Amino acid sequence: MKRFALAGNPNCGKTTLFNSLTGSTAHVGNWPGVTVDKRDGVYKKCAEPISIVDLPGIYSLSPYTPEEVIARNYVLDEKPDCVINIVDATNLERNLYLTTQLLEIDVPMVVALNMIDAVEKVGDKIDEKALENKLGVPVVKISALKEKGLKELMDKAYNESRKKRVGVTVLKDSPLAHVIGDVKIALEGQNVANPLFHAVKLVENDEIEVKMHKETVGMVSAFKKTFNDDIFGNDFEAMVADARYKYISKNFAPVVTHKNKEKFKTSASDKADKILTHKVWGIPIFLVVLFLIFHLTFSENLFLLNGFGDGWMPSLSDNEAFLEKDDDGNVVYEDNLDYYMTEDGDYLTVGSEGVTDNGNGTYSIEGEDGEFVADDEGRLGSRVPVLNYGGRWLATIYDGTIYSPGVVVNNIWNDMIVGEIAGRIQEAVDGSEMSDWAKGLINNGIIDGITSVLSFLPPILVLFLFFSILEDSGYMARIAFILDRMFRKFGLSGRAFLPMIMGFGCSVPAMINTRTLADEKERTATVRVIPFFSCGAKLPILTAVAGALVIGTGISADLITYSMYLLGIITAIVSVLLMRSTSLKGETPPFIMELPAYHAPQFKNLMAHLWDKTKHFVKKAFTIILASTIVIWFLTHFDFQWHILADEKINESILAKISMLVQPIFTPVGFGSQLGEYGWVFVLAAVSGLIAKENVISTFGTLAACLIANPAVAAEIGLANITSEAGIGAVKAMILATGISVPGLLAFIAFNMTTIPCFAAVGTAKAELQDKKRYKWTLLFWVATSYIVSAMVYTIGSWWWTAFIWAAVVAAVAVVIVMRNKKLAAKQNVLA
Amino acid sequence: MEKTLNLFEVGEHGTVKSVTGEGKIKRRLFDMGITPGADVLMRKKAPLGDPIEITIRGYELTLRKTEAVCVNMEVNK
Amino acid sequence: MGAWEILLIIACAGIVIAVSVTSIIKKKQGKHDCDCGGDCAHCSACQSATKKK
Repeated sequence: MKRFALAGNPNCGKTTLFNSLTGSTAHVGNWPGVTVDKRDGVYKKCAEPISIVDLPGIYSLSPYTPEEVIARNYVLDEKPDCVINIVDATNLERNLYLTTQLLEIDVPMVVALNMIDAVEKVGDKIDEKALENKLGVPVVKISALKEKGLKELMDKAYNESRKKRVGVTVLKDSPLAHVIGDVKIALEGQNVANPLFHAVKLVENDEIEVKMHKETVGMVSAFKKTFNDDIFGNDFEAMVADARYKYISKNFAPVVTHKNKEKFKTSASDKADKILTHKVWGIPIFLVVLFLIFHLTFSENLFLLNGFGDGWMPSLSDNEAFLEKDDDGNVVYEDNLDYYMTEDGDYLTVGSEGVTDNGNGTYSIEGEDGEFVADDEGRLGSRVPVLNYGGRWLATIYDGTIYSPGVVVNNIWNDMIVGEIAGRIQEAVDGSEMSDWAKGLINNGIIDGITSVLSFLPPILVLFLFFSILEDSGYMARIAFILDRMFRKFGLSGRAFLPMIMGFGCSVPAMINTRTLADEKERTATVRVIPFFSCGAKLPILTAVAGALVIGTGISADLITYSMYLLGIITAIVSVLLMRSTSLKGETPPFIMELPAYHAPQFKNLMAHLWDKTKHFVKKAFTIILASTIVIWFLTHFDFQWHILADEKINESILAKISMLVQPIFTPVGFGSQLGEYGWVFVLAAVSGLIAKENVISTFGTLAACLIANPAVAAEIGLANITSEAGIGAVKAMILATGISVPGLLAFIAFNMTTIPCFAAVGTAKAELQDKKRYKWTLLFWVATSYIVSAMVYTIGSWWWTAFIWAAVVAAVAVVIVMRNKKLAAKQNVLA
Repeated sequence: MEKTLNLFEVGEHGTVKSVTGEGKIKRRLFDMGITPGADVLMRKKAPLGDPIEITIRGYELTLRKTEAVCVNMEVNK
Repeated sequence: MGAWEILLIIACAGIVIAVSVTSIIKKKQGKHDCDCGGDCAHCSACQSATKKK
């Protein structure tokens, strides 16, 4: 079978072309001895099937990087029947630099001029016929992405492969022509194949050449002595490179007609960049932008207009116009009281200190405004008036405080839409004739489970919207540019920043986006830490647990949320440092980035993105999560003898028993055996997170009702309205039922933030990493990291002095690594 | 006036005079087209001047300071 | 058990089986569950990834 090789710069569209040509026949392996991908496949649309090899992206055929050596050796030694050189038309001169080197090899060649559409879009024109004349090989315009011109390309390549071709060099007009000519004749005399190529390389003092053709080196030096250049002295490497570019500028560049001749003016984008990438203000501006995004999504006190503390704005329930009234015109109150909690998290009762009986059924609490009433057990709380329909709509935007846009959308979605629908269904089911278990399955298993997940659609969408705007406008690329220096300290380039930020949305596209990273080791490290940038699905876990923690600890929900995101980022940084100094040790990759001009994100596009994401999210909720909650409900309501269990007997169910077996493993991380008999729910929730991270909360949602059914638990919670606050209420129930400590809860969050991501992400990681061994280590890495991190959070949170032990362990590990690296470096110096 | 590329201000442009640096760096700079006689425009500088973005031979290229320091330039008026 | 209950059980079983089967089939085909739901032509993430290389 004939073999064609694809050669070209990185990011010139080579792999896209390869995929289009080979389709499903593509196979990825390794070039022997190096961790560089080898892609090959078959093109079947020619007269005969042709094997296509995708050589690594290279800028030149010098011997400095493994990719270049592989490409060079393949063309010289494997003798493909034709080389297809893909040239990126938007970067013509630099791409042609490689072309001039390929032309020196005695192999049939065709040039594919890719991304022509991008060139024509800015009004420039390329005369490919002129280029063809100058190069001496066929030039075909293609668009790899749009799959245009491919057949013509392959047909021309096929034709060329049937002829012989002798190498030519653009250096024939340079001062070096004579020297090269002489060396070439000498090599021909020795019957060396590709004499011209080797001659040029020898003149350049190319390391590989020097080793291979030791005999000729002496002769070359003799020739060179007769040669002395003013500018370069005897730096022949520089001379050759310079000569190539001179030729390119003079002969090839003119085939391009620029519409806008003045390429040397700074554009409007550049002016904007003067501020946005300013050396002092660049990063602070970015931090402010980030903070604004989170503020607009989560804040319940927009721009702090409501002041600090409890705020000065009146609450809606103070105004009767917004309250629901009964037929007599009296205000209707809710059944549930808004319980008064002290700072210690205790309920205040009728008999407590500072409480006075007003005699008319109400009580007053010292230091608090207003009147309170007591429930059956004497616990004090305010009566919560029911808002009328208009009031409820207004409450989505304002209720004693102005809500941020993100919160407003959240309120509308949850209170007015999902809450309404779910509430009505549940009422209908309750009132129906179905047996208790059926009612339980529908109301608690299915509805509670799904609503607890659906309730988080708004923040996920809003965050996604903001990040999309940042990315589409081009601002994200600037940040990568600014952060490159910092990233380099960790062994990554600034380009790794973008996939990581995408991880905050969803790990799957983030991992796919790592393809822009040319260095395989950098890519692997990045793919591994992407899950630590907590994706949208993990957000419910964070918000729900943080919200539940607010009561009783007084820590603001914001603080917990920020800290957990921060913890993820820190874990990522430490992991990268670790990996880059051990198994994935490598050089910091060169930094070539495209900084496209700023442009306003298109509204239509944004809305399309949002719609896609919504569709996907809702689909996920009603398929995977629905199926999971059903399964979990069944397995928690049947015991091993297949008897059906009432809610309060949940601890005897199949799933409970299995989870209890596994529970002890999680003791060091705070949610294992130390929790009461309901502790297994945490374990189950974490495991269910493997299917979809949203399941962690939906599991709580599904099972919370069962916990409430237990009288012991119910006494603690009172008649807390679990469904109205979906996730948060369920978590509160869990906290009270298991007695999990605050550090344990934080450790639980940390565990879920850092452990193996959902199956979809795992599958993507496997596809992107391709190397099975690397993939297995990645899984191990995730398990180990989540365990260690959550253990740290738990132990340090519970017993602060353990921080010293951890610090000592970390220091010891660091010392071992440093010493090992020193030893390895010393060994290498000896060998070299 | 002569200075190394990393010292250029945004908006300044000049011509490459010579390229120094050890083998690998120098080679990479050449491969990118930074050879004597090439025109360069300084487009952007990140904080601390690292990295930078220049326009050369019709396209934009980002360079790190360690690389820019190796490029000796003649400033154009 | 009443009619509703039987219907309920069949529906639940149906959902679980359908979801499991489609997930397994999707995995064999290598379709990735990214946010665009496999519709890469319109997905910004897939677009930017394929455009680069």
